[in-house]
Amino acid sequence: MLEASALSKSYNGTIALHPLDLRIEPGEIFCLLGANGAGKTTTINLFLNFIPPTSGTAKIGGLDVVQQPLESKRLLAYIPEQVMLYRNLTGIENLEYFTSLAGGSHTKAGLIGFLEEAGLARNDADKRVGAYSKGMRQKVGIAIAIAKKARALLLDEPTSGLDPKASNEFSELLKKLSGAGSAILMATHDLFRAKETGTRVGIMKHGRLAAQYSTSELGHADLERIYLEHMHD
Amino acid sequence: MTLRIAKKEMTEMVRDGRFRAASAIVFTLLAGALLLGWQHFREVSAQHASAQRATREQWLGQGKKNPHSAAHYGVYAFKPKVPLTMLDRGTDPFTGVAVWLEAHKQNEFKYRPAQDATAVQRFGELTGATVLQLLVPLLIVLLSFTAFSGERELGTLRQLLSLGVRQLDLARGKALGVAVALGLLLVPAALIGVVAITAGSGQTDMVAAIPRMAWMTLGYLLYFGTFLGVSLAVSAWASSSRSALIILLGFWMFNALIAPRAASDIAKALRPAPSAFQFARGIEKALQGDGHDSASSRAKRLEQELMKKYNVDKVEALPINFTGARLQDGEDHGNEVFDQAYSRLWTVFDAQDGVRRLVSVTAPSIAVRSASMAFAGADFPQHAHFARAAEAYRRTIQRVMNDDLMRNASNTGVYVAGDELWKKVQPFEYTAPDASWVLSRQVPSLVVLALWCTAAGLAALWTTRRVRVY
Repeated sequence: MLEASALSKSYNGTIALHPLDLRIEPGEIFCLLGANGAGKTTTINLFLNFIPPTSGTAKIGGLDVVQQPLESKRLLAYIPEQVMLYRNLTGIENLEYFTSLAGGSHTKAGLIGFLEEAGLARNDADKRVGAYSKGMRQKVGIAIAIAKKARALLLDEPTSGLDPKASNEFSELLKKLSGAGSAILMATHDLFRAKETGTRVGIMKHGRLAAQYSTSELGHADLERIYLEHMHD
Repeated sequence: MTLRIAKKEMTEMVRDGRFRAASAIVFTLLAGALLLGWQHFREVSAQHASAQRATREQWLGQGKKNPHSAAHYGVYAFKPKVPLTMLDRGTDPFTGVAVWLEAHKQNEFKYRPAQDATAVQRFGELTGATVLQLLVPLLIVLLSFTAFSGERELGTLRQLLSLGVRQLDLARGKALGVAVALGLLLVPAALIGVVAITAGSGQTDMVAAIPRMAWMTLGYLLYFGTFLGVSLAVSAWASSSRSALIILLGFWMFNALIAPRAASDIAKALRPAPSAFQFARGIEKALQGDGHDSASSRAKRLEQELMKKYNVDKVEALPINFTGARLQDGEDHGNEVFDQAYSRLWTVFDAQDGVRRLVSVTAPSIAVRSASMAFAGADFPQHAHFARAAEAYRRTIQRVMNDDLMRNASNTGVYVAGDELWKKVQPFEYTAPDASWVLSRQVPSLVVLALWCTAAGLAALWTTRRVRVY
């Protein structure tokens, strides 16, 4: 579903991402680990076509993101570290706006359904987003992904700063989405969550995907040890 | 899609207290300016009508006197106030509204409010035109400078673009959102204006005002479109909302404050007009006295010509009154001098206008000012049109008076004429030029505005296609 072939990015000769080959199939949750600046966000931005690749291709559902920017984006949902919404609109209005721009048309009951599915309390849906906590915003982000029936999810540190309960709820939602057949790429610093929710983990260092593991092969302690070993130069 | 985006922009703006406050201020000022303009118009046109009646009654009731005394007594001609001047007074405060039509000379216009005003007041007068030319563009800037830069800073732009929204739709939706918000403000104000104009004018005035209003509206819409396009383009292109605002305020200031003054100064420097004093001196020198001077060489020559023509040997024997002939001859000479002097002066003014038109390529505000005052009926060419009509009327009076003298006065005795002669002079009627006359002179302004609007729109599309998400 998500496919990078020899995908690389450099800025004025500084290499941000060395040629990367990666495939994420439907139902998989691939967690990208690594220090800040290791190239995790660059990878996600390349899939979003927010930045042009220096070489190689990124494909979503077989569509090249540079050649078919609009069509490829119809398949995906993006949840950044901070889901940004319009503060003067209510949760429902935000969801309605984003889903309609994605080409969907839903009834109010349908929209409320998506928000409830994403775990937002019913009476919060009618409040203006200016008063939302981070966890509530992330839920609206998930609701957008659900409403869009996104087949690929790109998540950039979506749980950093969430309290453990909210973080746990978020992970449960991800599992549900991947169970429904979405391919998920998530950049994260949370080794525990990566092990719990991920099907695979990849460790990035200096713009290179240094190692990949299937989480079923690893215990929690293993993952932390391997990670720290990679971080040692 | 465009509609959906526009609707959300509208909802956000309406919920934003800053927008509500700014709009309320602009609307109040616009409605206030229109009401003030309406009041001013009503007062002044009533004054004009009664003054025009009074000057006619005085002319008719001046009693028995020599026709040339009547010519010196004279009448006033008042420039009729057209209803759209309640929106834009144009050059009226500078050119004056009334002229005294008397024997021997083409007078300057009187009653120029600007003469009594300090320089500061020029900027202070609140009219619909000032609000439309200065404040509405400022409001457009304030409504749209964050259109893209704000969403980029907030992070919602990434969210939007990750959905697969076309930038073109985004640009159109944002433009439409601001346009509808402005419409909420301007349409009611325009309705107030139309009601005021209808209430303030007779049927003929109203019919004449409709095409003028339509062209004026087109001019303003192109001007607002320019500001909207530039604002969206700068918002998409600038690195931050702060720099977008600074750039746009600079553009606004250049248009609102600097360019119009600079255009006038450049025009004056390149095509200097004589001072009022120089102009009057030039005429005085060319005239060399008027038809009163029986010892002048002109008078002597006329004497010889007439005596030869009627085959008599002294002036007293002429079958016509020589004073009347001499006075008309003086008028004819004066008319040539005035025609030359005024045509030279107005050629300079035209050339200055040409310079301003050229400068207007750099600032749409100059073009919209020109179009606005022209379609309101208060620009210089229309003033000159009236001045020519008034002067033609003055010449008719002089000719009727002098003809009467020539025919009826003897060359020896005292002659007085009465009501019959005064009635021979028809009351002064003036019809202002129609909209097509104005349009033929305003094509360049409208073209400049259309070019600016198109260029701004294309710039907005071009920059939004390349909008950065970070």
